[in-house]
Amino acid sequence: MKKHKTIPPQFILRFFRWFCHPKLKDSIEGDLMELYQERKVVSGKLKADLKFVRDVLLLFRPSIIRPAEGYKNLNNYGMLKSYFKIGWRSLVKQKMYSAIKIGGFALGIAACLLITLYIKDELIYDKHYTKGKNLYRVLGVIKEGNGLDKNIFFPAPMSNALKEDYPEVLKAGRYNASELFGAGNNEVRSGDQLENAYDQGFVYFDQELADMLELPFIHGSAKRALEEPNFVVLTKRKADKYFPNQNPVGKTIIVDNKTDKPYTIGGVIADFKTTSHIQFDFLIGTKGLAFWKDEQSDWGASNYAVYVQLNEGANVTELEKKMSKGILEKYFIPMMIEGGMSVADAHKFIDERGARLELQPIDRIHLYSAGVHDGLTHGDIRFVWLFAAIAGLILVIAIINFINLSTAKSANRAKEVGLRKVVGSMRSSIVQQFLTESVLFSVLSFVVGIVLAFFLLPYFNILSAKSLVFPWSEWLLLPIIFGASLMIGLLAGVYPSFYLSSFQPIQVLKGAISKGSKGSPLRSALVVFQFTTSVVLIVGTIIIYQQMEFILNKKIGFEKDQVLMIQGAGTLGDQATSFKNELLKTSQIKSVTISDYLPIRGTKRNQNEFWNDGKKSQDNAIAAQIWKVDHDYIPTLEMKVVDGRNFQRDLATDSSAIIVNQSMAKEIGGEVIGKRIEGYQDKYTIIGIVEDFHYESMKENIQPLCFTLGNSPSIISLKVNSQNMSEVIESTTAVWKKFAPHQPIRFAFLDDSYAAIYADVQRMGRIFTCFAVFAIVVACLGLFALSAFMIEQRAKEIGIRLVMGASLKNIFNLLTLDFIKLVVASIVIAVPLAWYAMQQWLQDFAYRIDITWQVFAVAGLVAVLIALFTISYQSVRAGLVNPVKSLRSE
Amino acid sequence: MKKYQLGEFEEVVMLTVGILYKDAYGVSIKKEIESRLKRGVSVGALQTALKRLEDKSYLKSFDGEATEERAGRPKKYFQITALGKKAMEYSKSTRDELWSAIPKVAWELKIV
Repeated sequence: MKKHKTIPPQFILRFFRWFCHPKLKDSIEGDLMELYQERKVVSGKLKADLKFVRDVLLLFRPSIIRPAEGYKNLNNYGMLKSYFKIGWRSLVKQKMYSAIKIGGFALGIAACLLITLYIKDELIYDKHYTKGKNLYRVLGVIKEGNGLDKNIFFPAPMSNALKEDYPEVLKAGRYNASELFGAGNNEVRSGDQLENAYDQGFVYFDQELADMLELPFIHGSAKRALEEPNFVVLTKRKADKYFPNQNPVGKTIIVDNKTDKPYTIGGVIADFKTTSHIQFDFLIGTKGLAFWKDEQSDWGASNYAVYVQLNEGANVTELEKKMSKGILEKYFIPMMIEGGMSVADAHKFIDERGARLELQPIDRIHLYSAGVHDGLTHGDIRFVWLFAAIAGLILVIAIINFINLSTAKSANRAKEVGLRKVVGSMRSSIVQQFLTESVLFSVLSFVVGIVLAFFLLPYFNILSAKSLVFPWSEWLLLPIIFGASLMIGLLAGVYPSFYLSSFQPIQVLKGAISKGSKGSPLRSALVVFQFTTSVVLIVGTIIIYQQMEFILNKKIGFEKDQVLMIQGAGTLGDQATSFKNELLKTSQIKSVTISDYLPIRGTKRNQNEFWNDGKKSQDNAIAAQIWKVDHDYIPTLEMKVVDGRNFQRDLATDSSAIIVNQSMAKEIGGEVIGKRIEGYQDKYTIIGIVEDFHYESMKENIQPLCFTLGNSPSIISLKVNSQNMSEVIESTTAVWKKFAPHQPIRFAFLDDSYAAIYADVQRMGRIFTCFAVFAIVVACLGLFALSAFMIEQRAKEIGIRLVMGASLKNIFNLLTLDFIKLVVASIVIAVPLAWYAMQQWLQDFAYRIDITWQVFAVAGLVAVLIALFTISYQSVRAGLVNPVKSLRSE
Repeated sequence: MKKYQLGEFEEVVMLTVGILYKDAYGVSIKKEIESRLKRGVSVGALQTALKRLEDKSYLKSFDGEATEERAGRPKKYFQITALGKKAMEYSKSTRDELWSAIPKVAWELKIV
């Protein structure tokens, strides 16, 4: 061997090393060097150098040059593929666990998805107007007792006053939905028909409001449709109902049989979006409208909701301040003075009550109108938060299941991890492996969850009284779902993967870890969390139902069972009394009363003011409703007269008599019977006091109310003797046909209508039940798998115990006690939480139940029983197994 | 048939690897071809062919010993795989078929 070695030109060699494919580099360089040494000996250094250069240059060809994008596999597709394969195999190997893992997860995801759709729908209310951020609703705020009274109804000239007095106000428009003036529900027919139909959604509507809301006109002129007197605009669905397959513009409709005053159709608009807080169907133009003389310039009656569109960049808070001061001083105070108040008193009143005007952005109306009396049904931002919280909780429970099951199963994977480490796997790649697996699970669960949500959506719609559709067409759906499944997969996989990858190979392979899964404190904590949530939801459900029961069965001051109502009786006019007499001939009908008002929603309401006789200009008014009734009203509804007497037919003076309820008697004060009070026009003598009865939601206190005799047939109520309702309905319909051949009879049962007032509470209860069941099912799935696994782990122990003479009962106790302890711990945590939360909810009701300890006892018992039932299947099985089976392998 | 793709130079390389049997690495293959076929072979051409054959799985390689004249670089030995053998047999048999298909007359004409 030569000590001293000549070397080829270094820069050529370096060049070769630079371009050559790294995999080929060493062997080719070896070849080159070998040749070089040989050639140098044979033909000298120069020739050898030249040949070396030539060889290197000839090696400079595509298959030898290193690829530009790098020679290594930059991604780990191969490894990922293997992870997926291993993941899939362990999934298939343990079918029950995988099913529970995926099923539980999918349930959670489905629930979350549904709630997300719901919340999204709530949040996009009134976001569709192009000028949306400049649109506001005007609120009148005044101190009322301890709270604030927020009102949206203003006098007719309000909108014009705002527009004229404040340059910031670009447009102002109103609607009037008061039933007193014929808005709301009416009998209606097209001008060339005779048959009436009963329909809803009548409203008086300004052209300018239509402009502001950009109502989409299908037929007719968007600018002029409401500009003529007695013009009406229909929505598409109503136009299709009354004028199928034609353009109804120019045709007429007749409302409430007023043939002398037909409405001409000025246009057809698309139906209001479901996400609009305004929902009407018959918009009657306000042009030339006056419900009484000079109504349109009268500041004394507030019937109009007012909306304004501000200039771009107007300062809202400034404007609110200016308006509050200006409008009150210019219009309201003079009116109060005219009504008999002194100037100082009027100012004092305004100051004391903190009267002011506010502007409510249109997109906040739906969710932020708690306490606003606007006669609309709207959502509540608190419920949105509550739902979001429930969705979050369900998802967390599902993730916890996943974590629990993954770590519990760790013993089975421990050997795999150990072996991987021995053959050189780094911890990071093991983490990666388990994360990949959990993403695999998550994606599968998402697929199942979406399918589940899709099929559950119709039921959820019924439950939530919405019309949600699955947003398949939304292009963001796929990326969001994919991103979410990836993220949740990673989230759920983080703990298990770090836990599993921390195993020491030596210990694992020696078999030390396999018992390490007995009781991890974290796992216990997670089980406790799951059951705490479940118990809270169970308590919530029970209390909502109790409150609901309470409302429906409380002594409400009148008898709502066995009462049949006939609505739309206004058609009968003067014939109402003969109709009544005709009905009374039927033996099944005990009594009949004709009235305008019933203690349920959807009948008419009014607001009047009363004073003690002769004190009109001195005292504060008592705000109360007057219901015009007949002599049979109180007996038919079985209300109780606590003092004085009912109206009597033979006393002519009763035409100016009045019966008040207890609240009103309290407001009047002193000895009430025989006292004289005066309203706007008439004076009355109080002849009786009727016991307070509930006529509005129990969320509010019972307000003053009084009855007078009057003939205003709108609803006829029948007290029925017989149990056979269908027979009664049949005979009543026959009588009705004689009197009103052109109008279908409309029935309702008083108790149903009463229950409808609390539809939202009922809905809330049902939704709560559903989610409570969801949460419990998911938690139980987890517990089931966990207990099965524990028992599997302790199979040998149980075998030995059985051999040594333990009974089934011993084994059962041994296995279930640990879990029951956890459930009991969760109950202890859940009770105060649930108590506090439900106390908050009950604050909404003026009349509410007290929360009793029994509720918690029941909820706790249910939780323990469910847990016990879940575990006992596995425990009993473990106790019955032949010990030979588990011990044989030794 | 695209089944066994084997170029002329590739076939020569394969045959040489076969001849050298246990001693087939870059330099020895090059020398063997040069001495038997009397034609120059550049390192580049040879390495390209070897790489292509390896990619086609006709050859397999393993690292051998490193000597001092190779500046400590390992030799890369090549061996014919079963697939490589099939390819070579296929190539030979197709040639043989073609040879045997030539009519005798053709040769006679050529001689004349």
